[in-house]
Amino acid sequence: MHALPPSRRAVLAAALGCATPLALRAQPAPAASATSAAAGLPRLVTVSGAITEVVYALGAEAQLAGTDTTSLYPAAALKTPKVGYLRQLSAEGVLSLRPDAVIATTEAGPPVVLDQLRSAGVKVELVPSEYTWDDVRRKVQAVGHAARREDAARALQARLDAEWAQLGREVAQAAAGRAAPRVLFVLSHGPSAQVGGQGTAGDALIRFAGGVNALTGFTGYRPMTAEALASSAPDFILTTEQGIDALGGPQKFWQRPELALTPAYQRRALIALDALLLMGFGPRLPQAVRALHASLYP
Amino acid sequence: MSASSGPARPGAGQTAGAEGMAAPPPPPRSGRLLAPRGALALGLALVALAFVAGGASGAYPIAPAQLLGALAHAVSGTPPDTPQQLVFLNIRLPRLLLAAAAGAGLALAGALMQGLFRNPLADPGLVGISSGAALAAGLTIVLGPAWFPALPHALGSWTLMLTAFAGGLAVTGFIYRFAQGPAGTHVALMLLAGVAVNALAGAGLGYLNFMATDEQLRNIQFWLLGSLGGARWSAVALVTAVVALCCAAALAWARPLNAIALGEAQAALLGVHVERTKRAAVLITALAVGAITATTGIIGFVGLVAPHWVRLLTGPDHRVVLPCSALLGAALVLAADAVARTVVQPAELPLGVLTAAIGGPMFLWMLRHFRGRV
Amino acid sequence: MTLQCIDARVVAAGGRVLLGGISATLRPGRFTAILGPNGAGKSTLLSLLSAQRRPDAGQVLLDGQPLHALAPGALALRRAVMPQEGAVAFDFTVREVAELGRYPHRRQPAADESGIVAQALQATGVAGLAQRIFNTLSGGEKARVHLARTLAQVWAPLPGGAARWLLLDEPTAALDLAHQHQALRLLRERAHAQGCGVVAVLHDLNLALRYADDVLLLAQGEAISLGPAPEVLTPGRIERLWGIACTQVRGRDGAVQYLFGQASA
Repeated sequence: MHALPPSRRAVLAAALGCATPLALRAQPAPAASATSAAAGLPRLVTVSGAITEVVYALGAEAQLAGTDTTSLYPAAALKTPKVGYLRQLSAEGVLSLRPDAVIATTEAGPPVVLDQLRSAGVKVELVPSEYTWDDVRRKVQAVGHAARREDAARALQARLDAEWAQLGREVAQAAAGRAAPRVLFVLSHGPSAQVGGQGTAGDALIRFAGGVNALTGFTGYRPMTAEALASSAPDFILTTEQGIDALGGPQKFWQRPELALTPAYQRRALIALDALLLMGFGPRLPQAVRALHASLYP
Repeated sequence: MSASSGPARPGAGQTAGAEGMAAPPPPPRSGRLLAPRGALALGLALVALAFVAGGASGAYPIAPAQLLGALAHAVSGTPPDTPQQLVFLNIRLPRLLLAAAAGAGLALAGALMQGLFRNPLADPGLVGISSGAALAAGLTIVLGPAWFPALPHALGSWTLMLTAFAGGLAVTGFIYRFAQGPAGTHVALMLLAGVAVNALAGAGLGYLNFMATDEQLRNIQFWLLGSLGGARWSAVALVTAVVALCCAAALAWARPLNAIALGEAQAALLGVHVERTKRAAVLITALAVGAITATTGIIGFVGLVAPHWVRLLTGPDHRVVLPCSALLGAALVLAADAVARTVVQPAELPLGVLTAAIGGPMFLWMLRHFRGRV
Repeated sequence: MTLQCIDARVVAAGGRVLLGGISATLRPGRFTAILGPNGAGKSTLLSLLSAQRRPDAGQVLLDGQPLHALAPGALALRRAVMPQEGAVAFDFTVREVAELGRYPHRRQPAADESGIVAQALQATGVAGLAQRIFNTLSGGEKARVHLARTLAQVWAPLPGGAARWLLLDEPTAALDLAHQHQALRLLRERAHAQGCGVVAVLHDLNLALRYADDVLLLAQGEAISLGPAPEVLTPGRIERLWGIACTQVRGRDGAVQYLFGQASA
């Protein structure tokens, strides 16, 4: 007998196993090989949704040989060959796409596979995540460098920096003289939910948008319990669209007893953003902040 | 005693016939589908076939000539000279070896446990090895960064392997000690204690799941689903060595396990060192399955199913069942991994999904087909 | 060359005395039946003699040596035990089960191991069942296979000439009428012709009278008597111990047997 009862394990495994091929629907990428072979530009495999977004933002999608299963935006990315989940990559799978470079966040793994890719002559570039604007800078720079499109990367960066600066001014203006709204960042996977403290994607986003994290004093995630929320008194709750869909809609979300006494509950102030948009910290970060800001300061 | 032929109905030999000795019995018609030598030969052939098939399949296309070239380089010690050979030697070959070692070790442990518990439904997980390793891995993934921030905790690192191995051994050791009584190891108690401890470990893992962040949860779940892709050459070599040693050691206990099928009391009366046999079986299982689980996560079904198939074909003599189970297990996992690596390429399916999905229905089919023999 | 109990005592975990100070000397070349009412301690005594159990007081000696001082492997070469019940896990064939009896000889196999097993199967009349799966047999057939296994264990004379012992716990319990007689005849032949010491727990007094040389009579954990069967099994004793009236008769072949009547008052 294994740790989880075999039946439950089997169901979980079967679900994952079935979901994976449905999500992957691997197709060869003949167009990419033809174009990049002609252009002599490096072939890329990008692991992590935000990094894939950068590739498309640079207009370098012809060089994209494959992506991981978290690369869901734009829609075209769904049609690229999928090399698996970012934490469980397949060495041979990646190599079969003949990339020159693999760009990923530091969450990618397993580490052995990354070593095997390096030993096969593939450049593996890992970008750390700190949930700051620098994340975006690093991703753009890494992709630009690996794709040998440094000029386009610089242009993109300049555009994004300008957008970010403008957004910062708008947020500062709107927030001047007003109390910052208290926002709770909730990540739910199934029946259990977690709330984010410092050092999480949601926390950073809240600050950027002119709000303040309703929970202080801890880093990372904690289970969402009544005690944890007792002193938080959030005005808004920020969560992912996918989490709400999995629950079955906002009404189901508000049925959580822990939320009943919060100011957010009284106004049903729920802000749901797409998960990748919310936590990817890619070129759409200004868009995410703008969306959140608009909800916080209507 | 009256002679009786071999009729199909049981009890038919009980007729009180004429007295006197029967004529000398006819030369024994083998009641088994496979004789020992044939079974071993078939097992070796299956492993060889699965090895070749596994070696030839994968997301990365490698021509057969390149495969041979790679092997030539490996044997002669010279470095490979094409990327295909490099991929084969660095990525595919260690994986093939790990698959063979994992399959052999799990099947061998399954056969040992079934002999020890005198029950064809026994499974290496009964003595807590898998759940102990899983719990230790979960603890490392979830609590490791908080308690030991200096320790690298990424999947596939030595830390995770060592803690999983230690966890498996610790839990098995606990269950074994728990079952000690004045008359030695009480096997039934070990079974029941195993059930309870497995439940506890499951609860512990459940709680860790609850506490874990998204990332940690994913790590735990992938670890649980089993994969051969996360092991370094050094780990593969270590596991292969451990499994080979365990297979060799297990053979010495084949005849005692046969005698134990008569019951522990009768086996002792035949001169079997029953206590030593139990200890050896548990220890070999713990080492083999512990090393495998620490490296690959949980791969289910092989330990339960492979010995069954062997027994259906060759009979329950452990001198045949132990080595043939190891061979069949190796072939099964090699084949399953080949499928896992290619069916959704360039991604991979978790191996545990496949072994359960394939093993289950095939097991049912065989049970139905050989219903009379079980 | 003897198998002896000297003042052997066995006390159960709760304090109940199973055997109180039994002393008996058994010799090879003779068939000794252990008889007694239920709860007399027959199986307990047999387990003492086979070294399955150690006495809480007193000694059990084989050829003058304490039983428990002998290594299990060495002991298994000299004595074979047939249990009352013999479930066998997995689907071993009859032949394989009988071959398990040769386990003690694995280090120094005889010249014709398979021949010995075949002869043992033939002796108990199950040679024709050799390829059958043991667990598909009837109770009587299974008992005969276990008997064959027991015989096979000590089939050949030992180098050095030490006596071989056969200890059997109710070997006829599952057998039908004809096979009961044949099994006991076989055991007696083993004792007389082969020089084995045969000790069997029996329930049937008439069978004991017919086939056993000696009877060791037990009641409530005490040895009542040990001696030649007709001397030990007197009508008076039988009536006293079993509470059944009995009449002595003589069979056509001259053997003394008993007819049992109503329970005496």
